Amino acid sequence: MFDQILFILSAVITMGGALAVVFSNNLMHACVYLLASLFGVAGLYATLNADFLAATQLVVYAGGVVILMLFAIMLTGGVQSTVNKFGIVKVPGMGNAKTYSAAGLAAVVISFVLFKILKNAAAMPAKGQMAYESTVEKLGGLLVSDHVLAFELSSILLLGALVGAAVIARPRHIKDDV
Amino acid sequence: MITLPSYLFISFVLFICGLVVMIARKNIVAIMLGIELILNAAALNFAAYTKFINQNLDGHIISLFIIVIAAAEAAVGLAIVIRFYQIKESIHIDDATQLQS
Repeated sequence: MFDQILFILSAVITMGGALAVVFSNNLMHACVYLLASLFGVAGLYATLNADFLAATQLVVYAGGVVILMLFAIMLTGGVQSTVNKFGIVKVPGMGNAKTYSAAGLAAVVISFVLFKILKNAAAMPAKGQMAYESTVEKLGGLLVSDHVLAFELSSILLLGALVGAAVIARPRHIKDDV
Repeated sequence: MITLPSYLFISFVLFICGLVVMIARKNIVAIMLGIELILNAAALNFAAYTKFINQNLDGHIISLFIIVIAAAEAAVGLAIVIRFYQIKESIHIDDATQLQS
């Protein structure tokens, strides 16, 4: 019962947030709606017995990525910038019969693929539900045994991203003639 | 109610929303919002298949690495966007036509 309430709430927040990101006119609002959508995804992880993933999602996205995005929006002109408006009205090639027919064809193909995948997924024999237990200990064991190469590579990736972001974003003066 | 196809449908909606954001918006930061939505859709699929199909936590590991890579990608991408804004005074995607100016 509690699972179902959490699932429905998280699903509504996730899909509503994603749709609001698409249809919001203000980029700052879109970023906050993205935050809501990521919270919903964390709730979905909680319904999937993935407690460590839910915590990581909240820490990394809500604490890091969305704040970074908000700072980037504010540093690049904020909401006064004209390209922060919804871009689809600016494209002159859209809105005629050709694009609508192409969109209809794409919708038919996508719905066919989705129906096929969902039918197969429903036909898969679901094993018994996992018991509610903490996954942190098992995940830690897997990270340093089976997946240790990917773990170390991700640390190198993070170091490279840190140094690279600092190098790219540093202000360069003209007299430096880099 | 809580079955695999419902999670796949939610992930599908997230993916399509991210795709529409990436195609329709002309702001580079907004395009990165779309990338985040798409990466979340992929990570959600891994976690859902882990619970309902194979149950050996490898999907959780891959979701974890997706989150790590998304964070690194956001840091580097936003650095590039800020540098681009310093050079071009614009963040319209159609202004980004040269690798080196």
